[in-house]
Amino acid sequence: MELGGSTILYACVYATILMGFLGIIFKENLVMKIIAMDVMSTGVVALFVLVAARTGVRTPILTASPLTPYADPVPQAVILTAIVIGFSIQALMLVGVMKLAKDNPTLEIRAIEEEYRP
Amino acid sequence: MTAITLLWVGLPFFVGFSIYLLPQADRILAFGVSLASLAYATGIFLLSDPIELHLLDSFGVTLLVDDLSAFFILTNALVTAAVILYTWISPKSAFFCTQTIILHGSVNAALICADLISLYVALEVIGIAAFLLISYPRSDKTLWVALRYLFVSNTAMLFYLIGAILVYQATQSFAFVSLGMASVEAKALILLGLLTKGGIFISGLWLPLTHSESESPVSALLSGVVVKAGVFPLVRMALLIESIDPVIRFFGVATAVLGVVYAMVEKDTKRMLAFHTISQMGFVLAAPEVGGFYALTHGLVKSSLFLTAGNLSSRSFKVLKEQPIHRPIWIALVIASFSISGFPLLSGFGAKILTMKNLADWQVIAMNIAALGTAISFAKFIFLPQHPDPSQAAKPGFWPATILLLGGLVAANGVYYEAYTVKNVVKPLVTIFLGWLAYLFIVRRITLKLPQVAENFEHLIGVMGLTILGLLGMVLPWLDI
Repeated sequence: MELGGSTILYACVYATILMGFLGIIFKENLVMKIIAMDVMSTGVVALFVLVAARTGVRTPILTASPLTPYADPVPQAVILTAIVIGFSIQALMLVGVMKLAKDNPTLEIRAIEEEYRP
Repeated sequence: MTAITLLWVGLPFFVGFSIYLLPQADRILAFGVSLASLAYATGIFLLSDPIELHLLDSFGVTLLVDDLSAFFILTNALVTAAVILYTWISPKSAFFCTQTIILHGSVNAALICADLISLYVALEVIGIAAFLLISYPRSDKTLWVALRYLFVSNTAMLFYLIGAILVYQATQSFAFVSLGMASVEAKALILLGLLTKGGIFISGLWLPLTHSESESPVSALLSGVVVKAGVFPLVRMALLIESIDPVIRFFGVATAVLGVVYAMVEKDTKRMLAFHTISQMGFVLAAPEVGGFYALTHGLVKSSLFLTAGNLSSRSFKVLKEQPIHRPIWIALVIASFSISGFPLLSGFGAKILTMKNLADWQVIAMNIAALGTAISFAKFIFLPQHPDPSQAAKPGFWPATILLLGGLVAANGVYYEAYTVKNVVKPLVTIFLGWLAYLFIVRRITLKLPQVAENFEHLIGVMGLTILGLLGMVLPWLDI
């Protein structure tokens, strides 16, 4: 495998996903965990965009002379759905955290788990 | 039939949101939707050919409805109907009905998907609707349980999405069938997402807390249908792609044994039922060809058990041994326990025989041990004391729901009546008898408490990393994929 531009891009994208994942595990505060999850999902979105761009980077609009290599619209359409879903889930989780913060102001996950263990 | 299918998929969402406009008719509307699903599932059974819908100029976006889906849809319809009957007189608001019906609709949608992206959308909607149902009481504890559920499921779905795009990159298609041609990494990531959603093996350890700490009707929905939305795609993939089949069977066996070990030593009724759900999902996956029927019987039995557990005076087996249960409730509990242990006359028997017949050779011993474990776990319910004093009568709404579920259990016997041969009848009786002996003389006397540390949030997420490594490093290469 040559070490060209796209390989480095892929490496960066996967590194983002991995860092988000590790953040979910190692951050102790619930809000930080949710932000880490957002980082991870940003990485996934970037991966979709990168895969879409492998056939070209032009906007896929039908013109009289469609000669320039254009981006694959399918992954972009799919990820648009996923972005909307991801954002609504995040909003929902943050509302939940806001309510939870009234009784657990520090939002430390260990303390919360200890308190609500059956 | 195409038009009917599309109408039927859209109906729950349309009705779900209309409930807000007509809050007085919430129960009736919600019940009507589950009846519509019941009618649709019956219609599919009567059709000889499966229905297949392709998106125009598709990239593999496909819906597929066949007998397998029909079994799952039937489960979904009956369990939802029972839960609505159960909450009919309760003070639950129209919001609860809306969420139940949206959950019902999104589970339906997941049950007819044959491509990765439709499935992704359906599973995420299920996650959101389940979150709202779990956190319905608005207490801090339920809020945390719901948050934890949504967090775990969303993280799993992110891995799934990575897998989906890798499949697309390799094959230009999102259809389940193209998974067979995709790379090992793509398979591992997709499997991780679905294993976590379906509560399978160690990825499923989020399930006991979520299912046991929710309110009883919500637990019934979660255990009866929601986990099946994660298990169904695994069954479908095992049937469509030959190379995936042994992996799914392997996970089926591992889950069946793991879940039942936890269930045997558990001292809390609802947690025991939740662990047992994990084990039963293993039975569904162990023989994918007949998983549909098993899922149907499990859905009916487990939701009726969760509703019954919600009507007992305590959640601890220790307390229940000293406080006798009201006799009719005890009878309902025993019928359900007998069915799940595989006792003849109830459809749990036919489902178990059918599954055992379709096992591969290497699965047989482990699955028989799991069946024995089931009998041991449910002996805990059967040997509880009971009395005729009506002071602890069940909540209103309990009986219509239970009669519907247990009636379904008896009626479903007709699916596989060939099971009633002498040899088939004797074997489960021996298993149950041995299970009871083991319970009375061994399990009841030992107090073993398995550590709950694996259920900590960070471990749940960490296990996803381990599962990926396990799938990539051991399971998939070992099975030569």
